[in-house]
Amino acid sequence: MTAPPVGTESQLVIAPMLVVLVAAVGSLLLGRRPRARAAVSLAGGAAYAVAVAAIDWYIVLAPDAPGIATYQVGDWAAPFGITLVADGLSAFMLTMVAILGVCSLVFSTRHLPGGEGRSYYFPLFHFLALGVTGAFLTGDLFNLFVWFEVMLMASYVFVAYSGGPQHTRAAFWYVSLNLLASAVFLLGVGGIYATTGTLNMADLAQRLADPAAYGLDPVPVVGLLGLLLSVFAIKAGLVPFQFWIPTAYRAAPPQITALLAGATKKVGIYAIIRLSFTVFAGAEVAVDLSVPLLGVTIAGDSPLPFVGAALFVMATASILLGGIGAVGRDSMEGVFAYSSIGQVGFIAIPVAIAATTASPDLRRFAIIAALVFALNHTLAKGLLFLAVGTVRAATGTTRLDDLGGLARRSPPLAIAVFVASLALVGIPPLSGFFGKFLVFDAAARAENGPAIVLLLAGSLLTIAYATRMWNRSFWGARTPAVEVATVDSVQVTVLVVLATAIVAVGVGFEPVYEFARTAAEAALDTESYVDAVDPQAADDLLGSSGGEH
Amino acid sequence: MTAVVLAAAVGALFALGTFLLLRRDLVRVVWGLAIISQAANVYLLAMGGIAPATTDSVPVLAGHGDHVPQTADPLVQALVLTAIVIGFGMTAFALVLSYRVYEEHDTLDVSELGDRER
Repeated sequence: MTAPPVGTESQLVIAPMLVVLVAAVGSLLLGRRPRARAAVSLAGGAAYAVAVAAIDWYIVLAPDAPGIATYQVGDWAAPFGITLVADGLSAFMLTMVAILGVCSLVFSTRHLPGGEGRSYYFPLFHFLALGVTGAFLTGDLFNLFVWFEVMLMASYVFVAYSGGPQHTRAAFWYVSLNLLASAVFLLGVGGIYATTGTLNMADLAQRLADPAAYGLDPVPVVGLLGLLLSVFAIKAGLVPFQFWIPTAYRAAPPQITALLAGATKKVGIYAIIRLSFTVFAGAEVAVDLSVPLLGVTIAGDSPLPFVGAALFVMATASILLGGIGAVGRDSMEGVFAYSSIGQVGFIAIPVAIAATTASPDLRRFAIIAALVFALNHTLAKGLLFLAVGTVRAATGTTRLDDLGGLARRSPPLAIAVFVASLALVGIPPLSGFFGKFLVFDAAARAENGPAIVLLLAGSLLTIAYATRMWNRSFWGARTPAVEVATVDSVQVTVLVVLATAIVAVGVGFEPVYEFARTAAEAALDTESYVDAVDPQAADDLLGSSGGEH
Repeated sequence: MTAVVLAAAVGALFALGTFLLLRRDLVRVVWGLAIISQAANVYLLAMGGIAPATTDSVPVLAGHGDHVPQTADPLVQALVLTAIVIGFGMTAFALVLSYRVYEEHDTLDVSELGDRER
């Protein structure tokens, strides 16, 4: 087996990062010319979408596609150098980000929030996208940390962006929390390096699968994985790490909130799936832990049961807290921010099921469910947060008390929000129906009664807050704020496009399901991941099982 | 011996950082964050250990003949360097934010800043 030649596929892997980096620098240099800046940004966004589409097709979906491609930065071989990897899972996540990113970018060209800092909006936007893209593509634990930081730095500025006293305060707590999380991330990374002697994810998976050959003890890895999970749970906003979400989401501009909910949250989910299933699943740790109070036994031969149990608890709390919180909010973005906490619980439940089950079929199915639900969440929640931006630009307020009768004022806006709300609830034939259906199906196949009850309760709460939001802002008598509203046509067009995408995903669900299936298989296929990233290690292990590195 | 000293240092730094983090003064909170991130860096360096290197583990030294000196793990050095840069940048940003908070709220006392939610 020889190293894969550096070819087109290999270069495709870095294409989206290069594109978005060029766009960031370009828009930074054009800071003083608003029109040129917006044009460069739009072109960058379009090129990014093309690059991601090329990855989707040439690496993952085409009939003779390799399914996975790597780029070794600076041509240093895998365990030492920095590796970038694009496989089905990364491609699926990138596609979600690309769709939402382009929509948010077009939306942003119409109405830039903020005062004097305006010229930095687009560069920051691209740096945020760069961080997200890097996190999806990196094959190295420390690099994951670095890309997290890149993403966070841009988001810090965005949270403080609007410049009011409450924004500064929100940003301060957001920065503090994330700095602390970064320190915890470093603790996890350092511990894993000390335990296993490597940070390359493929190398790590390889060593954990055969600890005797490398003379390492996989047991501490369970605890270290726990540290990392807590960091990722902060990014994903799972309870008990959700407390920053309502304030930060309210402080950031709506089109950025759409990205925070639709893209950076997914980075947390992606990291949980990637590390748990691709990297740590192979570690042989005999687990037999009974929890006396609940009468539950956590058992298995890898760290996954721990991950599953922790995720299940966090997801339960998220669904309940998010749902109940959303019902009581008095502004549109408040409702959606809490709803976002609840919806991440819906993504985490199937991941937990996948982690606890022993059946490979069910595991794959559950991850497909999680991915489809994540896609639905990105589209629907992205649309809703953008709609918040439109409503705020048009009426100057998003308080439910001050809104009313929006449906008559702008029917396209109302229809788009209605479609997204129905997608959240899970009405066929929208994308949300399949998302929710698959999650329920996974819970049923796992014969997990409590999960089904929980999902039902969560769905009822979703119906409650979606209806309440809809009734109070779109129906009823027009308020003075709505009476004088002028709705921006380009922004509404973006919303309608997203709504169409939600319908399209639901109607033409077959290819989407296929894509999600490919992604789930990529997430679970540690062997080809290792093989693509580090063929040397695979050879070593096959040849002499005592291969030293 | 070195291990004990390092462990004690890391522990003390984390304790100090946590203590400062729980103060009511925002500037102390920033100090706490800075110290915690430095503690994480020291911990990271300690995790790599100091050992006789080989040309395998230090590819950069591969062209320097047979004798390779004792060294702290170069990979960890690179990681810590990156983490330090990021940490300093973020600390500076947090300081700027705390100054801004002072300008807007006329106080650096956490409890006077009011409820986080509203």
